[in-house]
Amino acid sequence: MFELQKVEKKFPGVHALKGIDFTIKRGEIVGLVGENGAGKSTLMKVIYGAYQHDGGQVLVDGRAVRFHNPRQAMDMGVGMVFQEQSLIPNLTVMENIFLGFEQQFVHLGVVNWKKMATAARQQLDKVKLSIDPATVTSKLSFAQRQLVELAKVLTLEERVQGDLVILLDEPTSVLAKEEIELLFSLVRDLRKRASFIFVSHRLDEVIELSDRIYVMKDGAVVDVVDGKDADVASIQHKMVGRNISKEYYREEKQKPFDAAKPLLEVDGISLAGRYNDISLKLHAGEVLCLVGVEGSGREAILRTIFGLQKPHLGQVTLKGRRVETFSAAHGVECGVGYVPRERKIEGMVGGMTVYENITLSQMRNYSNAGVLEIARERGLARDWIKKLSIKASSENVDCANLSGGNQQKVVLAKWRSGGSDIILLDHPTRGLDIGAKEDVYDMVRDMCGAGVGIILVADTLEEAIGLSHTIAVIRDGEIRKWYDCPPGGKPSLYDLIHYMT
Amino acid sequence: MSFGRLKRHFPWITLAVLVLIVGTIHPSFLRPQNLIELAGDIVPLFIMALGMTLVIYIGGIDLSAQSVANMTTVLATISLPIFGVFSGVLVILAGLAFGALSGFVTTRLKVPSFIATLAVGGLALSVGQYASSQRALYMDAGERDHAFGWMVGSGWSGVPHELILALVLVVLAWFLQNRTTIGRALKAIGAGEPAAVASGLKVERYKILAFAFSGMLAAIAGLLFSVKLSGGSPTLAEGFLLPAIVAVLVGGTPLTGGVGGVLNTLVGVLIVAVVRASMLYFGVPATSQQIVFGIVLIVAIALTIDRSKIRIVK
Repeated sequence: MFELQKVEKKFPGVHALKGIDFTIKRGEIVGLVGENGAGKSTLMKVIYGAYQHDGGQVLVDGRAVRFHNPRQAMDMGVGMVFQEQSLIPNLTVMENIFLGFEQQFVHLGVVNWKKMATAARQQLDKVKLSIDPATVTSKLSFAQRQLVELAKVLTLEERVQGDLVILLDEPTSVLAKEEIELLFSLVRDLRKRASFIFVSHRLDEVIELSDRIYVMKDGAVVDVVDGKDADVASIQHKMVGRNISKEYYREEKQKPFDAAKPLLEVDGISLAGRYNDISLKLHAGEVLCLVGVEGSGREAILRTIFGLQKPHLGQVTLKGRRVETFSAAHGVECGVGYVPRERKIEGMVGGMTVYENITLSQMRNYSNAGVLEIARERGLARDWIKKLSIKASSENVDCANLSGGNQQKVVLAKWRSGGSDIILLDHPTRGLDIGAKEDVYDMVRDMCGAGVGIILVADTLEEAIGLSHTIAVIRDGEIRKWYDCPPGGKPSLYDLIHYMT
Repeated sequence: MSFGRLKRHFPWITLAVLVLIVGTIHPSFLRPQNLIELAGDIVPLFIMALGMTLVIYIGGIDLSAQSVANMTTVLATISLPIFGVFSGVLVILAGLAFGALSGFVTTRLKVPSFIATLAVGGLALSVGQYASSQRALYMDAGERDHAFGWMVGSGWSGVPHELILALVLVVLAWFLQNRTTIGRALKAIGAGEPAAVASGLKVERYKILAFAFSGMLAAIAGLLFSVKLSGGSPTLAEGFLLPAIVAVLVGGTPLTGGVGGVLNTLVGVLIVAVVRASMLYFGVPATSQQIVFGIVLIVAIALTIDRSKIRIVK
């Protein structure tokens, strides 16, 4: 019923989609997987009308169509459930559901709210959500909002004749385990009325839900796998074109840290509403991992150690000297480097070159009486481009034009070249593809080898377990459990989750 | 992409096209003598725009520049008989202080710069009005020439001295922007302030410095203007603010900051000069000129602003 034939999409300098063939039958659930940059989101945008294809054909029921905007795609029955919540928080649920389509409830310029509420309730029933349609959206949980988004797209059923195609973009990323099960059973129920395209990074979920799975790599579909006989390892292999070995987290390179050399001591720090009575020690060569759910206070602890947030109570000692003034400038002076989660906002300055970014935290060392020694800066940048194999045509290119992994390397180069020996990593592999992640893991081990202490807030629990010497499990701003993690003696996922929630 | 690449070259292409148009219709416009005079007349505005550039470069704005220049004309005229050439130093320090005050208010008290500088500008205006008792004051020609004669007029080369002054200032400002840690820090603040903070830069100090430079350059502009007109009044530099902001923006330093810089402003000021001159040639009355600048300003902002940095405009 919905088909793409040899669809092409080119952007300046990027061939984003290369002859994509894609079909979806009535009532089918099709998975779509691929690494970041493989072309998934471009393909989705073509399907729901945000982009126009420049080659090939899009067919609905055998007829060639061309969507000029998402609204036209919706009129043909193609709807998108967005990954980033697209509901407007201060509107009510029913206003959100019928946003842009209120006309049907308007009589003489006045909205008939009762009629809208009835219609909204009917939509909410489809997703088995029993809430008052007049509830303000911001009061809903993430899971409920996700269902409202789905209900919103399902209004297409009444508006459009013919079949529906609904795209689900990472719908499970904000959901808890039970909520995911609920969503999946709902999707299975709804396949009587609609087909689904399910996009997710979580391969096990894709395999569980999908009838067929399209695997994308470098802008092309490399394989279509049947959902029943798919397994995670083989799909991963197709996505990256290589196996992910057991040495993924570089466990074999994990060396014991130097317990005689504490770099950082945190003694009973508290910050109201963020964390409470946190004490920890970081030694040279140690990876200390803070594990916890989103909002458990991990990030605030990192920011305090770096100096961006002053604690209300307790003290921080950097290399034997008690911290009196909390500021990023002071942290940097004491050799603390912070690799923030928001790489593009806090990590590097887009619009500045690689060398300008690398020396930004250490301009004093590359200047004389306030006058920059640019030749030396560029030399330093060239060294680190080589050392970390940063893919940049030269040290003069704008950092904004590098890929995420290379940007992350520039941020690390900034701290390492400046001699920082306490490195705080907040989700250092977020949004990176698998190859770039492995580079980051290598760098973590190399830094440990050089006597650097690292505090890590990992992107996944597996990453936390694989990389760390020590794990602190944090719940509601307090450390609940400590684990030693020597190679071969690491705690299991289950151990950690037990104390996290 | 080609549009994006071209965008960088818009300012000087605009300038060249404007000069060609005016030059074709009125060939007398292109006489060297005329061009030099034109350039000489625009120098006070250029100096003010130079200071404005540093503030816009970090993503702020300085609406006090004109008032500071006004105040300077008054203070310079009053202090000239007492301090001679040192009155120049005094008024420049006063401008620096007012700029630093703006910087302090916007960084430490977290008042947006457009409001902070508007308020400090009000302060400067009042000082000017109070000191002058709201009258136009005049400098003694002898005292003026003795202390500041070197600023104006033209020597053996025929090049007006104020052009040389402008050249020296633009070279200094360029050096500050491109070759010093201060300039690098300002760029980082304009292009990505959170990353600048997280790199350990003392961002607040650099911001105060940018506002202080702006105040200082506004004072230099006021001083030069006052010397040129041989007097001072709290309204002498009226009508400078809008063209100064226009010059920065049409030069290619967007309100969002981080790109562009002092050389862009040089081109921008020349565009303003040509537009202003052509209005004379085409008989646009002086009273309507601000209409033209207002329109150019809006168009320039709309074309240059980096929309990726501002998702929602309120």
